[in-house]
Amino acid sequence: MDGKEIAESFPIWIASGISVCTVLLQAVIFAGSAYRNGIRIGLTKEQMKSSVKASAIISIGPSLVILSAMLSLLAAIGAPIAWERLSVVGSIIYESAIASIGAASVGIQLGEDTLTPEALTIALWTAILCSIEWTIFGIYVANRMGRIQRKILRNNSLKSAAISTAALIGVFSSFSAQNIVKSNKNTLAWVLGSIIMISLMKVSDWWNLKWLKNWSMVMAIFTAAVIASIV
Amino acid sequence: MQKECDYYNREYIPKMNRIGIVTSLLGILGMLLPAIVLWIVYGLYPIPSKLISAVLTGTSSFGILWFVEPISYYTILGTTGTYMSFLSGNCSNLRVPCSGMAQLTAGVKPGTPQGDIISTIGIAISVVVNISILTIGAFLGSILISVFPKSIQCALDYLLPALFGVLLVQFGVREMKQTLLILIVALCIYSFSGKSQLLYKFTSYFGLLFCIILSVLLSIVVRRHKE
Repeated sequence: MDGKEIAESFPIWIASGISVCTVLLQAVIFAGSAYRNGIRIGLTKEQMKSSVKASAIISIGPSLVILSAMLSLLAAIGAPIAWERLSVVGSIIYESAIASIGAASVGIQLGEDTLTPEALTIALWTAILCSIEWTIFGIYVANRMGRIQRKILRNNSLKSAAISTAALIGVFSSFSAQNIVKSNKNTLAWVLGSIIMISLMKVSDWWNLKWLKNWSMVMAIFTAAVIASIV
Repeated sequence: MQKECDYYNREYIPKMNRIGIVTSLLGILGMLLPAIVLWIVYGLYPIPSKLISAVLTGTSSFGILWFVEPISYYTILGTTGTYMSFLSGNCSNLRVPCSGMAQLTAGVKPGTPQGDIISTIGIAISVVVNISILTIGAFLGSILISVFPKSIQCALDYLLPALFGVLLVQFGVREMKQTLLILIVALCIYSFSGKSQLLYKFTSYFGLLFCIILSVLLSIVVRRHKE
């Protein structure tokens, strides 16, 4: 059997499937407890339902980007592993880089040369060992940082709200700047996205169009991306 | 409000921590599973020396991010969000936007108990949607590659920059001056990052954290000033 046949064999499908299921399981358990406790903590069912809808709508665009990254990885290391790698601590930015580093160490250029069993093995192990730390340190931070933050802020929710909002602005500014300085079509897409968004927000405010408020973001993102790719 | 806050801190968070630790450890075992199957079923395992050198190459290119990313995103994602995001990945391009938008739509403030619960629901939904789409993609596989026209592929390349533009408008519109200031500083940092190899490495490791800290400090200063 060559590497590709092994990578797409039944046992690997099963192993990858179980791995993906653990991520789903965690999300389902957390969502369930959050929903039950949300009512106790004073949230309405409408608020929670609206957040489900908003998140589902926003997820579609970025998920398609991740899907297209998965399709290119899929050609290189087979469907089940590509699927597993991008569902579990996967990040479109690092995943193919890590797998390529692994394969390169046995002299295989991922996606160009035929996949040998040896290259498949080392690519997979490298990908795992280079991303598992995110989860391990994530557990540590999730467990510890809360206590530190609550101590510093003394449970002052006004302060912590201001800090979280400012942090969000910091994150989006950073990623915006990284795209703007490329001064290529990424810049154009960024500019178009923000201009279309501002216009749609103004229009929906003027005429008080509720449906437009809900969909303005998705419309702005897709319109900007399509125009940037055509121009 | 105080009663709810106490319940949140004393009961909800410890319970979420227990669930988070158990499910994340389970996830780590799951991650190892395909490699274990390769070993047991096919007798394939990596040559240690080659594996070590490959892992070291990976570590030196982005090992710092293992520590910087969870800390940077914690104030936004909260406890449960951090467990989920660092098991499922794609933090900046999917989890953070979903967490923010869910809270904005529900009309809750980030960082409060209510905000945290809405953010948890938002992130969990994004995990389900994302995995569903990837699962369809994995099973259709090569069929999808042939029907995925070049033009769609091309438009997808520009989806993330557009997304960040839209998000910055959405969240920055209420603090226009502060947002513009942070964006200008960020632009300066990243436009200089190409000048040298060292600067490039530094900004790709710490640029994000720097922008977050700067934005937080600025908001504190502005609040003090107003008071």
